[in-house]
Amino acid sequence: MAKQYDTFVDDLATLPEGKEVVLAVRNLDDFKTIAVKAVVSSTGEEDDLLWLRFSRGRLRDKPWRIKVIEELPFEALFIESSVLQ
Amino acid sequence: MDMIKGHQELVAALRKSGDVIEVTRQVDWNLEAGLIARHINETGDRSALLTNIKDYPGARMHASPLSNYRRMAVAMELDPDTPPKKIIDEYERRVRRPIKPTLVKDGPCKENIVKGDDINLLQFPAPMVHDGDGGRYLATWHVVVSRDLEQRDWVNWGMYRCMVHNEKYLGLLTLPGQDIGRQYLKYQAANEPMPVAICIGPDPCSAAASTSSPGAGVSEADIAGAIAQEPIELVKCETVDLEVPAYSEIVIEGHLLPNVRVVEGPFGEYTGYRTSPRDPRPVVKVSAITYRNNPIVPIANMGTPVDECDILFSITWGMDVRQAVSKLPVAAVHIPPEACGHAAVVAVHKIYEGIAEHVANAIWGSKLGYLMPFVIVVDDDVDPYNWNEIIHAMFTKLHPQRSLHARHCTPGHGLYPFLSTYERKWGIASNLLIDLTWPIDWDKNIDVPQKASVRGMYPRGLAEKVVAGWKEYGF
Repeated sequence: MAKQYDTFVDDLATLPEGKEVVLAVRNLDDFKTIAVKAVVSSTGEEDDLLWLRFSRGRLRDKPWRIKVIEELPFEALFIESSVLQ
Repeated sequence: MDMIKGHQELVAALRKSGDVIEVTRQVDWNLEAGLIARHINETGDRSALLTNIKDYPGARMHASPLSNYRRMAVAMELDPDTPPKKIIDEYERRVRRPIKPTLVKDGPCKENIVKGDDINLLQFPAPMVHDGDGGRYLATWHVVVSRDLEQRDWVNWGMYRCMVHNEKYLGLLTLPGQDIGRQYLKYQAANEPMPVAICIGPDPCSAAASTSSPGAGVSEADIAGAIAQEPIELVKCETVDLEVPAYSEIVIEGHLLPNVRVVEGPFGEYTGYRTSPRDPRPVVKVSAITYRNNPIVPIANMGTPVDECDILFSITWGMDVRQAVSKLPVAAVHIPPEACGHAAVVAVHKIYEGIAEHVANAIWGSKLGYLMPFVIVVDDDVDPYNWNEIIHAMFTKLHPQRSLHARHCTPGHGLYPFLSTYERKWGIASNLLIDLTWPIDWDKNIDVPQKASVRGMYPRGLAEKVVAGWKEYGF
């Protein structure tokens, strides 16, 4: 059975299809934030499901697909920044 | 009467007053528990102790601990039927005498201690509070304790949302205008991790105090003692140089990492909206968890009024506004819970023109200026606790050109729903003063309309006689 993940994105152009990307996704079983190296696509029926949410939480209608190549350490999601907003 | 020392003791007190029910059927931590809390808030129902949580045998959650004035009265050991104004007056009376906490060697929150590889935040039923939230918010009713890097005796307590990233990391909302943000920026400038302790389910007085805004240099622990009318017992943490309320259900110790961000949120917030987007925000690396036996995880579900924030803001921020305007000719102040803490209604004795501006300047010049974009000033014949009277004044005394005074480029924060995305990002807000007082240069006998009410249009003696003998008319 396909695993289900989700990620938050407003502009789909920032989620390149068919290329290896490092993404913060959530496992929808326990909602942990996990870092993955993965390939995503808007079409296809193989691979796991990747639900997409807008950055304020609204769910998009149609899920994408995700092939997780490797789960990375959580620290891979660290963004170096001093900005506080 | 002994103070309510912890959250389990609060539940016992609510049970005694009939303000909590026990739900024994299975409830899912994923949305169902949050939805129950939300429905309680929207209907004003009793709080709910959930004792059968899916995937977490033996665990307990408490939905909507203090989301109405009745439960707040119980928490302050007052009669549950005490009216809001009397609760707020009593709060003000108590906080005039801050009481420093006492350090004790041991406490219930030390009944279980977990460190190192055994740390697992998901051992507790962290709720998915709203559908579409960025994660499971384990801390929605809590105190975040932190110490200033330079002024070491300044220990801040605040209630800032905490999202579970995984077993050992938490996201912590840290805004620059809040005390924790100011402290964090100092640690960050020194490139030092900032020790924090997140005390979930503390005694209700500590939780209430953590939402007050006494300002930099003042410790909310002293305010908590004042509300409780006795010192709050604190115990030392295991891995950070901080002290925490000894009766907390769960204490998470760790460090807010400097110059590091991980995407956090979004979250349905106290404004009644999910406003701020998923964005890179500070992250806590957990170093220890201590907890009471059979701990209760409280869920305060922020959203449309009335929730815990709305009630506490009306009390604690109400006190802060009263202090800010204390030297002005003010009759009464209220922060209506329905306005989510965004508005102060201030009744004034209008003895000089411009008093509304004076009041607004005093509020916006205080620390609340960053949190309260609306100030409504009414004459002293309007009760600020009575929405009907406020609305009536709003749509009869408001002059569309003369009564609205907008200020631009004021400090604000990213949770204000009315700001644009850009303004939210940079905390660029606008404020509005609504002046509902009659102009001072209007002659009272010629220009000022006479209010057609029991109080305003009948001889006082006759009005009192009719009202006092109301039942004699057959009503």
